[in-house]
Amino acid sequence: MSMAFRRSIAAVLVVAAASAACATGTTTSPSPGGPTPLKVGLGYIPSVQFAPFYLADQKGYYRDARLAVTFQNGQDADIIPLVAQGGLDIGIADGTSVIPAVANGIPIRYVATVYARFPSIVFAKASSGIASAADLRGKKLGIPVKGGSSWIMLQALLASAGLRPSDLQIVEYPDYGQGVAVRQGTVDAATGFVNNEPVQLELGGVKTVVLTVDAITPLPGQGLIAGATTLAGSKREALKAFVAATLRAMREIIADPSSGVDAAIAVVPELGADRTTQLAILRATVAAWQSAYTDQHGLGAIDQDAWARSIDFIRSMPESPLSTSVTAGQMVSEELLP
Amino acid sequence: MNLSAPTGAAPGHAERGHAARRRLDLVPVLLGAGLFIGAWQAAVWIGGYEPYILPGPLEVARRFVRAWSDGTIAPHAATTLVEILLGFGVGASLAVPVGVLLARSRFAARLLSPYIVAAQATPILALAPLIALWFGTGLPSKVVICALIVFFPIAVATMVGLRSVDARLVEMARAFRADRAQTIREVEIPAALPVILGGMRVGATLAVIGAIVGEWAGGGSGLGVLINLARGSLFDTPLLFATLATIALLGVGLYLIVVLIERRLVGVRG
Amino acid sequence: MPRESATKAGRSRETGPLASIEIADLARSFPTASGAPLIALDGVEFAVPDRQVVAVLGPNGCGKSTLLRVIGGLLRPDSGSVAVDGTLVNGPDPRTGFVFQEPRLLPWRDAAANVALPLELAGRPAEERRSRARALLELVGLADFAGARPHQLSGGMRQRVAIARALALEPTVLLLDEPFSALDALTRERFGVELLRIWAETRTTIVLVTHSIAEAIFLADRVLVLSPRPGRVVADVNVDLPRPRRLAMLDTAVVSSTAASIRAVLAGATDEPAPDQIWGLQPAGSAPGARDPLEGVGVAAWFDPFGREGMA
Repeated sequence: MSMAFRRSIAAVLVVAAASAACATGTTTSPSPGGPTPLKVGLGYIPSVQFAPFYLADQKGYYRDARLAVTFQNGQDADIIPLVAQGGLDIGIADGTSVIPAVANGIPIRYVATVYARFPSIVFAKASSGIASAADLRGKKLGIPVKGGSSWIMLQALLASAGLRPSDLQIVEYPDYGQGVAVRQGTVDAATGFVNNEPVQLELGGVKTVVLTVDAITPLPGQGLIAGATTLAGSKREALKAFVAATLRAMREIIADPSSGVDAAIAVVPELGADRTTQLAILRATVAAWQSAYTDQHGLGAIDQDAWARSIDFIRSMPESPLSTSVTAGQMVSEELLP
Repeated sequence: MNLSAPTGAAPGHAERGHAARRRLDLVPVLLGAGLFIGAWQAAVWIGGYEPYILPGPLEVARRFVRAWSDGTIAPHAATTLVEILLGFGVGASLAVPVGVLLARSRFAARLLSPYIVAAQATPILALAPLIALWFGTGLPSKVVICALIVFFPIAVATMVGLRSVDARLVEMARAFRADRAQTIREVEIPAALPVILGGMRVGATLAVIGAIVGEWAGGGSGLGVLINLARGSLFDTPLLFATLATIALLGVGLYLIVVLIERRLVGVRG
Repeated sequence: MPRESATKAGRSRETGPLASIEIADLARSFPTASGAPLIALDGVEFAVPDRQVVAVLGPNGCGKSTLLRVIGGLLRPDSGSVAVDGTLVNGPDPRTGFVFQEPRLLPWRDAAANVALPLELAGRPAEERRSRARALLELVGLADFAGARPHQLSGGMRQRVAIARALALEPTVLLLDEPFSALDALTRERFGVELLRIWAETRTTIVLVTHSIAEAIFLADRVLVLSPRPGRVVADVNVDLPRPRRLAMLDTAVVSSTAASIRAVLAGATDEPAPDQIWGLQPAGSAPGARDPLEGVGVAAWFDPFGREGMA
């Protein structure tokens, strides 16, 4: 057999084994004495937002807690079922995805808050004169699609001024993305993320105004989720240690965002091309990790009252993704928090 | 003097036989559907799958009925249907003349074939975002994508159908002084029609794929959009499957329409 | 002998000196794979008086079908000319009706629509087409089958539809290329009788290509024997049988002596060339390695050109 042939056989076997492992839906169980392997699902693309994970990994916090951590990237739609099945041990997901997921019987729990403020926002150029939700009446607003967290956020925001999306001119899929569309004036305002489009615009010298929904409806932002089965299983303590190590890294980055940028660049070298932008993004991210609630109850704490109000709001939406009644207690758990 | 041979049965006799055969075709269809549903349910039981991973046929049927009755699916289905019909119409109207050209002219065939084949080989999934960029995320881009995807099978079927017309029929038409246009209209196209419609059968099912792919490249409404919403916003797997079932039924329905048109235009030729 | 046919002849009822068909010095050859052209016709010349039935006889590959197609305007001769009723034939002509070896009906049209095809191509109005098609189907005995599709008809019925179609434009000349070769021996006989009846009613000139001596003698007033490669008329035999013809006549001495003289002429006929040596028009239905069609034909009362009845 030639070398190339043997290599391709080996590759086929590896792929087959990997897919078999994925298909069974469970991760490998910890071997006694050795480090516990954890498969962690992060967001869609590796980015500076996930700095705490990279930092904790590089500084050995996971290793010190006897954890062997591997990262995978994916969207909420992929991470949530994987975590529920046990294909991932823990992952990041948006709170407004967790609510319909649990309502539809997907067995996951939100175990730690990462974004204490809801990162999905509406932004506009300061020169547009838009200062509050009421100013959006009749304006052109760009959104990616009429669904997902930004759609929920928009409806909550507009409801505070007694408006509905039909009172605006909604532009779906504005050309070249929401940020470019606002800058060029194709739309008056758009939905976006507090640590993305507004940061890019400001760095480009365009003053922006940001409308947030936290004071109106405290929608839950991204946080860590784990499967109900996994939580009840042997990895519970390991997950607790993971959460503690990650929160520790978050605190360090809050104090020194620059260290977070370095940690991210170590994983994604391309980010080093524009350190200034990445630092600005990380600062905005760090600001969203903290709120009055976390100041009082600690980083990662889960505000069940905010969850309850959010569930009520989502259920009241027309074409609501919630058809059954669920409570906050069914979907959050602070058992892993220190 | 009447030499009517007993072997030539009067018309009507053969038609009744055909109708009987078509009625019987229902049995294997129902049998197949039963087997499929049985296998599906068995897979769910044996694999012990949760409804959010693989819902069973009963669960999906319930969700299907609910989604249609409360108006969840209907507007999306209407959008996708319009995209398919327009896209297929545009694609077929371009493909048939091109197919005629390719059949008629060796030069045109040699000139155009490489590009047509290359366009077919490029996966539509890769082209769709570009098309959405150029044509926007509304109806036009979906129509373009559908038209692209049905173009090749229909053009090739037209070309092959015309090239395989019995030359003896063409000679016969010539003997009775048919000019070019008359030969094409009265002999070649009717002779090629079964093959052309065969290509259109394939096109009908591909058009469904084209519409969904177009919606995935950006769209506000449609069954492809609903798939994404069911998956990523609503986390409603039974709805996802109900949408898939709707898409499948749409494809089957369009295919049957082409078959009916074929029966009407081609008829029984023996 | 070439005649100066400058004057146009009408369809006269007298057996005048003006011919219905005049073939002058016809030549036609086809390119072959080997390079040397196959000379299908070389200096063919004859005239057919009005209303005569002429059979063109010869082994496969002797150019009979080529000759017929040149007369019908489907092939251009390399040299020489064909004139029908005094006017040159330059292409498919409404004055000639062609019946091919296979029926060649359009399978998506019913019998009446098939018969009406030449009228449709000529732009005749719908009512005329309908009534003419009805009349023609009645002539060939298929009035009840006007609405039948070709696949619902037997081979013989289909060929009758083809004959009716060929008569649609009231041609003065009917050209038939081995029209009964696809039929079984018994049906062939009946169709021969049928053809004569149709000829009696329509009063056309008929040129019929055939393999079979017996068929040629039964149907024709004259039998032209063609030699193969190059195709030339090597015999012009008169058939001295009275009309109307009866099948019983085939057992008479006249027929056997006529057949004998024809066979004598054909004695020098060579086998057909292998099909792959010929480019160009191959008469449909000629199978490679077919038996000599004249084998076993003697004083047969049967039309049996392919020796299927095992007379060899």
